[in-house]
Amino acid sequence: MASETLQMTGRLRADGRSKVTGAGRYVADLTVAGMVHGAFRFAGVPHARITRLDTTAARALPGVFAVITSAEVGTRRHGVYVQDRSLFAHEVVRWEGEAIAAVAARTPALARQAAALIEVDFELLPAVVDLEQALLADSALVHEDWADYTVSGDVVRDRNEATRCAVVKGDVDAAFAVADRVVRSRYVADGSQPTPMEPRAILAEWSGHEVTIHSSTQVPFPARSHVAASLGIPESTVRVIVPLLGGGFGGKCEPHFEPHVAALARAAGRPVKVVFNRQEEFLAPDHRRERMVLEFETGVADDGTLLARRARLLIENGAYSADEPVSTQLAAQFAVGPYRVPNVDVSSHLVYTNTQPTGSVRAPAAPTVCWGLEQHLDEVAAAIGIDPVEFRRRNLVHAGDTTATGQVFDEIGAIECLDRATELIGYGRELPADEAIGVSCAFWPSFPMASGAYMKLNGDGSGTIITGAQENGSGSVMALPLLAARVLGMRAEDFSLVYQDTSAAPWDFGSAGSQTIFNNGRAVVAAAEEIALQLRELAADQLEASPEDLELVDGYARVKGTPARTIAIADLAATAQGGNLMLGRGSGDPAPIPESDSSGCIGRLGAESFTAPTFATHAVRVQVDRDTGVVRVLEVAAVQESGHILDPDGAIGQVRGGVLMGIGQAISEGMVDGADGARRNAHLLDYKLQTASDTPVMHVDFVDLPTPNAGPFGSKGVGEPCTVPTPGAIANAIAIAIGRRVRQLPATPERVWSVANGVEL
Amino acid sequence: MSVTVPERLQQARSGTERPSAHFSAPTSLAEVLDALAAGAVPLAGGTDLVVGHRQGKRLLPDALVNLDHVADLRGIVEGVNGSLFIGALTNHETIVNDERVRSSYPALADASSIVGSAATRATGTIGGNVMNASPAADTIAPLLCHDAIAVLRSTGGERRVAFGELFVGPGRTTATSGELLVGIELAPSSATTGGAYVRLEYRRQMEIAIVGAAAVVRLDAGGRVEYARVAMTALAPTIQRVPAAEDALLGTDAGAAAARAAGEAVAAAARPISDVRGSASYRQAMAAVITQRAVTTAATRARGGVVRIPASDSTFGGRAGNEGSGS
Repeated sequence: MASETLQMTGRLRADGRSKVTGAGRYVADLTVAGMVHGAFRFAGVPHARITRLDTTAARALPGVFAVITSAEVGTRRHGVYVQDRSLFAHEVVRWEGEAIAAVAARTPALARQAAALIEVDFELLPAVVDLEQALLADSALVHEDWADYTVSGDVVRDRNEATRCAVVKGDVDAAFAVADRVVRSRYVADGSQPTPMEPRAILAEWSGHEVTIHSSTQVPFPARSHVAASLGIPESTVRVIVPLLGGGFGGKCEPHFEPHVAALARAAGRPVKVVFNRQEEFLAPDHRRERMVLEFETGVADDGTLLARRARLLIENGAYSADEPVSTQLAAQFAVGPYRVPNVDVSSHLVYTNTQPTGSVRAPAAPTVCWGLEQHLDEVAAAIGIDPVEFRRRNLVHAGDTTATGQVFDEIGAIECLDRATELIGYGRELPADEAIGVSCAFWPSFPMASGAYMKLNGDGSGTIITGAQENGSGSVMALPLLAARVLGMRAEDFSLVYQDTSAAPWDFGSAGSQTIFNNGRAVVAAAEEIALQLRELAADQLEASPEDLELVDGYARVKGTPARTIAIADLAATAQGGNLMLGRGSGDPAPIPESDSSGCIGRLGAESFTAPTFATHAVRVQVDRDTGVVRVLEVAAVQESGHILDPDGAIGQVRGGVLMGIGQAISEGMVDGADGARRNAHLLDYKLQTASDTPVMHVDFVDLPTPNAGPFGSKGVGEPCTVPTPGAIANAIAIAIGRRVRQLPATPERVWSVANGVEL
Repeated sequence: MSVTVPERLQQARSGTERPSAHFSAPTSLAEVLDALAAGAVPLAGGTDLVVGHRQGKRLLPDALVNLDHVADLRGIVEGVNGSLFIGALTNHETIVNDERVRSSYPALADASSIVGSAATRATGTIGGNVMNASPAADTIAPLLCHDAIAVLRSTGGERRVAFGELFVGPGRTTATSGELLVGIELAPSSATTGGAYVRLEYRRQMEIAIVGAAAVVRLDAGGRVEYARVAMTALAPTIQRVPAAEDALLGTDAGAAAARAAGEAVAAAARPISDVRGSASYRQAMAAVITQRAVTTAATRARGGVVRIPASDSTFGGRAGNEGSGS
């Protein structure tokens, strides 16, 4: 059935051994002389006015060095799109995990004890939790002063609506009027968590007016900016270092608690380390997936041609706006999907609630919207009696197609992904009665932006890459030497890496948006090309040839077409030590943003077009235990077009992980929030991640398509699109297996059981 | 108005991490019993005691006595009259791999093979699982169905307590603070006895019982049930036998109809709660399904049929060992 797929090479990752043996050091492992320990005091109530905040008893506890609140650090508001929050709660708390104060003390236990001794009186306010009720005119407001907040960019706000985005094209009503069928669907999704293996930890140490912060962040440079702006000091005095990072999945995107801990260390007059426990990691950060209410309406011709789409998406913002406004615009694009839809009227609404803030988690907004849309497409296909795969094949986008926002696609591999994934899973084969195969397609943009790297060639011919990029565990930074080696005709293992230190390397956005290879890979290639130029010039002198006639291959500079005339790169590097050192630096030109027509867009925050879009299809075979509702994912075929694949090991690993994360979101990972805004399952016993034993057979393959206007060597992002189609494919498989549709995410056993057996819950 | 902060957040930040003041690790049972008499609490695998402490569920006791160095408490030996004696310190991994347990007491093997994770099973002991007395403990229902006897020792001597008399409520047993569970005696089995423990599982590792059921049946020469035990897990404050389910099996062929009747009896006897893991009505429905699978598997094994351990996995979807039921 399944033909050969892309295979791993078995290359040992540079950081692999230390991580696997336990020798590697994470922030929580670090100790510095004189260090004390910090703990936060969190609100514990979803919405309340602070009527009294008294830190006297906490300060009086022996062994306590500092207690800070908004009274100590100020109430300056920040936020990338909407400046709606301050470091510590000021006057009002808006979600149960909001920080009110932080304490530094001799031991972690003392710090927690002191935090508990802080006395807070609250006047409870009504908790806004339900997304639809929050938009009603008579709803309580999460932010009474919303109209006074400073915003950046085209953020369209109204009361509890933190922003609104729209994509409009053509005439949907006219198309519905002539459509053979108009199908409507509604789906409701629970939120979920990024759940990195490492709960976050931060260690801040001052030396004079400079502060060094070891942080488990995905974004060291934005963290540095946030610290500098929050404390009113120059960025040059802030050094953010990430030792090994134990995963992030978006949860450690955007700065979080670095300024708090820096301020705490300054107040305590000694280094302070804060290590979150798992419960805090679940409740306090402002990044996790959103609850959504998704409504789709599609007009279709009996021959399977999509005519029009209307959609309304309600997206949970939580108490404060992190980077979710741009995800809301992305969500509107995902409601159209990678399909030819000539008439479009989509609106997405970001809704304030008294719940933990949402923010980008691996392919923000995409898996959840895709889960809804791809189920809706199966319902549309069923309504006109067409096989769901054939239906997708007739409507998927091709090169030359124009999107709802007027972007014209370059060469893309959407159809190839569908064909290959269905081939790998054996779509259409006979299955036992309790099994079924579901299919889902997705697309996702790459994000071009500046990024920097330095390179130096050492006297022995080894190289060192000094990069601003952040390794979050995905292997992206570990793959940078492959690119340098490709340019310089050297081996990847000839290069060492200096990374995750803002004082050593040039700027990079961080491990987010599948951008590390896409942008920093380009920077490393540019730096390597500078070295290559120097090598060729040096070799030209010695080989008595023109630099343009030289190539760098297998560790040598040689005259093209005359392999005998060579000189070792190591010899050239040794020569250089006596004169001009071989140094390279690079950023490179980011891929151009495709032209688009955004006249039909509201809430434009940069997602009007998709640069170097990636495509993926997942085909999933599930078995449903109809009597219990438990779903097992048995087999997954995941095929992705991410341009040219540079590192098979990293790419395959990313897809496997993305699929497993998608399975969790599909069937077991849902946050249970009460109507009162209190989380019921902020622990790993009842927030159920998939385990190694749950991992299905996976067939991973790529449509290798070197792409112009993309990343280095025609590559595109990999790490996010691979989690987007999984929940939708699983939902479709479940629906086929039980003959009815579970309209809630995740499809927990109880939900599946109730739908399969027609039992009202 | 003043508001009490929810307890779970309080735990997260209050200073509950406090070591025990006294810790001993004797090599003889006599020394352990002396320590217990002086008020110490026994420590076996620590998978409940230590993990619970770190989660802020409870403080560690002032005095702990570690059982780890008392070799006599570890191991599985054959007793008189065909009984089997399992030392309290025997870990789940050992139990699962013991051929006598697998063949004669498969319900226990079903249970020990799905406790927590591989790491939990290599560390956690059967004595700890039993005496922790959780309403969700996996090994208790199988032990109840095998008419197990808890052998308790104290400085005052030995006491043998039937499992049906051991549990009082969540976390509470009839053992006194000076008594140590030294082992568990399992009644003799026979060639026509079969057992099974099935647990509702949302995923394939790291699960806690939401609904579980054990069944043991012995068939007479005509294939009729002459002895039946059915017990339910996580469906009441203590794990307990369900006599009505046993009555529904006695004298039957333990076929689909009998298994269904037993399942309905357990569902009727269950007093499930609603919480984040499932609603009471779902649990009640699952009580019937899971019991039916346990009974059917036990009967299949009693007839000499093979249903792979753990039964929870091999009966998924109503497939193996569950003929006549499900899809």
